[in-house]
Amino acid sequence: MDDIYSKNYKKFMIIPLIVIIPVLYLVLFSPGVGLGIELTGGNVLIIRSETELSTPVIEEILRNNFDLSEVSVSTINSPTGYGAYIEYSKNQKVIDAESLIEKAQLAIESENDAEAILFSVEAIKIFSEKETSFDNAKTALVAAQDELAKYNEIFSNNLQNVLAEKLGLGTNVEFQRREVSPTLGKASLDSGLFVVAISALFLIIVIFISFRQVIPVLGIVFAMLYDVIFGLAGMALLNIPISLIAISTLLMVVGYSVDTDIMLTSRMLKDKEGTPGQRATSSVKTGLTMNATSLAAMLAMIAVSYLYQIDIVFQIAAILFFGLVGDLIATWFMNVSILMWFVEGKK
Amino acid sequence: MNPLIKHWQYVLVAIFLVISIFSIVTNIANTGQPLNYGIDFNGGTLYQVELQKQVSGEEIARIANIISQRIDPGGLRGDSISPVGGKYLMIQTAETNPIELEKIESRIRQQGKFESTLNGEVLFTGDEIKKVQRKDGYGVAKIGTYYEWNLPFILNETAAKRFAEKTFHQCTAISFTSAGKPVYECERTTFFLDKPNATILISEEQFDFDEQELLLGNTFINVPAETSITEVIEDSRINVVTYSTKTGLDKNALSAALSATEEIIVSPDIFTSVKSELETLGFTVSTEELKENEPWIWNVMNARQIIRLSEGITNEDVANVSQAKIYSQLNISGTRENAAVAFQDLEELAILLESGSLPTPVKSISKETISPALGKSFLDNIVLMGIIALIIVAGVIIIRYRNLTLAAPVIATILSEIIILLGLLSLPFIKQPFDLAAFAGVIAALGTGVDAEIVIIDELTNKAKRQSLSLFQRIKKGLFIITTSALTIIAVMGPIVLFSRSMPGLSNLYGFAIVAILGALIGVLITRPAFTKTIEIIMERSEKEEKKN
Repeated sequence: MDDIYSKNYKKFMIIPLIVIIPVLYLVLFSPGVGLGIELTGGNVLIIRSETELSTPVIEEILRNNFDLSEVSVSTINSPTGYGAYIEYSKNQKVIDAESLIEKAQLAIESENDAEAILFSVEAIKIFSEKETSFDNAKTALVAAQDELAKYNEIFSNNLQNVLAEKLGLGTNVEFQRREVSPTLGKASLDSGLFVVAISALFLIIVIFISFRQVIPVLGIVFAMLYDVIFGLAGMALLNIPISLIAISTLLMVVGYSVDTDIMLTSRMLKDKEGTPGQRATSSVKTGLTMNATSLAAMLAMIAVSYLYQIDIVFQIAAILFFGLVGDLIATWFMNVSILMWFVEGKK
Repeated sequence: MNPLIKHWQYVLVAIFLVISIFSIVTNIANTGQPLNYGIDFNGGTLYQVELQKQVSGEEIARIANIISQRIDPGGLRGDSISPVGGKYLMIQTAETNPIELEKIESRIRQQGKFESTLNGEVLFTGDEIKKVQRKDGYGVAKIGTYYEWNLPFILNETAAKRFAEKTFHQCTAISFTSAGKPVYECERTTFFLDKPNATILISEEQFDFDEQELLLGNTFINVPAETSITEVIEDSRINVVTYSTKTGLDKNALSAALSATEEIIVSPDIFTSVKSELETLGFTVSTEELKENEPWIWNVMNARQIIRLSEGITNEDVANVSQAKIYSQLNISGTRENAAVAFQDLEELAILLESGSLPTPVKSISKETISPALGKSFLDNIVLMGIIALIIVAGVIIIRYRNLTLAAPVIATILSEIIILLGLLSLPFIKQPFDLAAFAGVIAALGTGVDAEIVIIDELTNKAKRQSLSLFQRIKKGLFIITTSALTIIAVMGPIVLFSRSMPGLSNLYGFAIVAILGALIGVLITRPAFTKTIEIIMERSEKEEKKN
């Protein structure tokens, strides 16, 4: 078995082409990959508990105690404990008041005090019945901000306390809470996309400087794209939304998978021993060892993070796992065939 | 000669291992933690504040400064605030209690309430300050060996008039100079920012302690020496009730206080039974914690500064208040031995007078909180995860090479890479806290590290190549592959590091990217040369033996 490629490499090329079709379907159509709240804005409360948490119970507590416009609850059970993931949007009052206060601030900035007072008074009306009047715009704004802050304070404290109390979680609650404004979400998405574009550009430059031939460089780039699509398919299957950490994990997929491609390309182009087929075959042995260690490490991370509900690490490990599986196909069926064709063609 | 010392590669790894272990051990001894953990592991809250509009670098630094003074005066809680580009600010705090967090949030968002009082009467409030003049007369000037700072500001008409009345003849001539000019001693005004609208209940013991502390003064929190507790309480116009275990609660004083406000703040040594007694009286009780070596009451009242009047504005030269000259432009000044400190004093006071209001309003605040209990469990679990992953990787390597002479160096290299990576991250001048993202960076670095070691072994032991290439040429080929792959990591992660201080959101990934890059560099520059040397020595020996046979 010192040359498995010479006779078959053209046939090998078909496999990645067939495999990519259902994978692309997963990513683009069903179930598809969505944006996480980090990038769209929204509020999430994650609670962990030793007693069982049930979705309908939590939903009912929230509905009875709070005036939330949208709530979605999902619960996770793992052998070491239970978790609840609660996504909610704040009620309309807060949203209205925030926008009035913002308008009042802008009015003060453009020195339109009368308008600022008007907006502030309207904002105060949302929370309290009492009629207010002001002659100083700044005082009015502060009063409106006070009302909103008071309302938020009560809300924040209650949400957690009521849940902790009704679910019997005790005082030392394991919770994680995230509130992201829509504008920050949008800005983060922009920076994420920008950074991905720059990273891809830098990467192509480094690879091009190293190998200086168009076809092999394209082979590596295609393989990386292939891996990223696999990572995305993993996200679609496991219902992991695109977040900043997912974006950086996809970059990590690239970093990992490019190792095998660089090793393969270097041996195919720079080595002189044996036939191209033999060189490719010996690369497979090295490459599979590289992939095997990474895959095994990822499996360990997936198992532990699932057991202990470390969401972030679970997502990282799962995306990497899928990316690395994609790399097996991309490198040892696709890129190897491209390189065989390139080297044989040059003879 | 000992072969370990003969080769620089081993010496290099040894030096870094020693530094790393030393740094980790020192950290454990000092703080009880091997690394500076982020909020993911210690618990805490990360705020991302978005401003209404893009501002200059200088302005956003000022905004960061203002926020820091409002939410964490004196830096006691150790909150960190850093600008991201010209529109965003990142604030990290150890606080996780929702009520406290909401307070911090409204402090960031809102304008503060400033007031200056004298003899229990208001001189002027933040709303009455027309303008702090940041152009004319503002700044630090060197006078002789001292640095004098000046802070001019303008009051509105009503306040200027009140100021002239209330400060009239507030200086007393205590002696005369040799030239016959009087030397005055003047009253002091107290500045408050965000003074609570609450009654204060303080135990006798705490009162006595605070009295001494205020007399001694404390430069960190701007308390001058010889400050009298009764004067500060008078200036605050807050109902302060003392509590003695002997006589119990002063019901008369409390019922008077209750008509003004239901809120009551109690000192931490007040018993729970007393607190519930207060609650039955109709109070809403909150306890304010004590900060070490600081007068409790000063912090509870949010007193910020004590400024002495000067005889120039107290109209000592006229006999009757009706003749008093009204000054709408006032000036506060002070001297310091050092320009930087003088400037800091000036800036702090300017912020105070501006009521901590931000030059550009806040558009939105996003926050993420992780409870300390959850952080602790994250940390325990990732340590477990790391150990399991290591064992599995070692297992795969052993199975693949079926040769401990080759597998042992791989495992030793992985271990030293982890130790050096964590060691360098634990160095005191590295500000990057270790969080889940940084952990992912460690995994990325180790993964590519193992890959590189496998490439080196296979390049050096490849049978076909051993016939045509010398050991040196094979090493060169191996190094080309691993250097290229390290460069790709740097290329992919570099932009995150580059832009994380200027683009919102990316700061969450900074730890990940910087650790991955650091890991790649440690691998290429420190551990892999030693690993390659080891495999080289092993190969030289086995090649010699093959020749003998």
